Amino acid sequence: MKNEFRQHWFAFRRTLAGMLRQPLTSLLNLLVIAIAAAFPLALWLVVTSLADVAGHLPVEPQITVFLRSSATPGEIQALRALEGSDTRIAKHRFVPKDEALKEMQQSSGFGDLLAGLPDNPLPDAIIFTAKENHAAGLEALQKELAAKPGVEEVQLDSAWARRLERLVALGRAVFQAVVALLATALVLITGNTIRMQILTRQEEIEVSKLIGATDAFIRRPFIHFAAAQGLLGGALASAIVWLALRWLNPAVRDLATAYGQQFELQSPGLQSLGVVCTATTLLCLVGAWLAVWRHLRRHL
Amino acid sequence: MIQFQQVSKRYRGGFDALKNLSFEIPTGELVFLAGHSGAGKSTILKLVAGIERPTGGAVLVNGQNVGSMRRGSIPFVRRHIGLIFQDHKILFDRSVYDNVRLPLDIIGFESHEARRRVLAALDKVGLAGKEKLNPIALSGGEQQRLCIARAVVHRPAILLADEPTANLDRDYAHDILELFKSFHQVGVTLVISAHDETLMADYGRRILRLKNGQFTA
Repeated sequence: MKNEFRQHWFAFRRTLAGMLRQPLTSLLNLLVIAIAAAFPLALWLVVTSLADVAGHLPVEPQITVFLRSSATPGEIQALRALEGSDTRIAKHRFVPKDEALKEMQQSSGFGDLLAGLPDNPLPDAIIFTAKENHAAGLEALQKELAAKPGVEEVQLDSAWARRLERLVALGRAVFQAVVALLATALVLITGNTIRMQILTRQEEIEVSKLIGATDAFIRRPFIHFAAAQGLLGGALASAIVWLALRWLNPAVRDLATAYGQQFELQSPGLQSLGVVCTATTLLCLVGAWLAVWRHLRRHL
Repeated sequence: MIQFQQVSKRYRGGFDALKNLSFEIPTGELVFLAGHSGAGKSTILKLVAGIERPTGGAVLVNGQNVGSMRRGSIPFVRRHIGLIFQDHKILFDRSVYDNVRLPLDIIGFESHEARRRVLAALDKVGLAGKEKLNPIALSGGEQQRLCIARAVVHRPAILLADEPTANLDRDYAHDILELFKSFHQVGVTLVISAHDETLMADYGRRILRLKNGQFTA
């Protein structure tokens, strides 16, 4: 046991010395690994952030009916009575134009602009919530409502939320594909790095084997090297993404505010740091193991 | 200690290096292998160390059949063997000391004991005080001695030397052989190959003469 530990320590010291002996090469290798890992990490953070937003949005089917300014109280009453008479409608909410203006001043960044207007440009509106959420049925209802007297325009509010949901689903699929591709790339990159190292240390490996080194002894320094590279590469990837998000988030916040939303991309936390470092370390180990195995099986 | 039972070795391409060879070397014997180059001397040494596998027959070392041994077990056989290579196989990216220490690191010796043994081995072969040098600074004869120090530092039971006296002048070759004799005196089994028989004759030991992969009388 003590012997085993000593052998690992011996190999680890040599690995560290080897990395420090070629600082530029080691750094470039690290960067390649970090960038390969940073891309899926960033994508994952964007997708989970968006999914978070999509989760808070009204995915229930809402239809907003904007009324003509000329609409009579009778026409408005007839529309509001649809809640009882039309079986497709679950509930409704009447939003008079004064209330709509107040809401808009509070929630969006246009407060000053709206305050400067001589009078309220917004129409009265009724927001209907439909019972079912079929795109075709909702569109039919939208058309019927648009034809009612006193109605100016009808909007399907849930449409963009559902589009966002689909976008998130697409994002997840893209994320999976990117992970699969870059995981393979990481294995190949490490495999190649280790192969080059094996080539430069071929004499040492040959002599070591001739005087009784086991495959494990030969493999050890390369495995250590790959593990160190994977771990540091994963940490560096998280740092890169963290910095990139710090730089991007003010712009994202501004964009979200323009849509009347509070939103920013989540920075990588401890959990994602752990996941990324574990993943890069494991993938680098696989690459190193394959490279050494390919070399060792050729000789007795 | 070493036993060959009807051993044949055919290399890829059809060259027969050894043809149906049988012999035995008991523990503690010093044996010379003689013959011109290509006669099969190196092949015998490689078969004993498990560097090559025989195409026929059995190669027994310490009662174990090295020829049919699992790949993973061969390193442990090699740890009982000291190998001295024709081309030295010295590593020039490290000091004399680190070259000799390599077998001890492979076996996993404790650092203090390893240092003691390395210095003792270097002293034994006459390289005391040169441990910090890079082997490139050593003469041909000194490199040969370094190779011997590395082969004996872990105190193997068997020492295999492939043409250890080639390229050395006669006096130097005698020094090397005297060194081997001192290992023999402490009970090590030695197999030494050489193409120059006049040198061996002085020692009055058994000589196995090879020609085209077979023994000659």
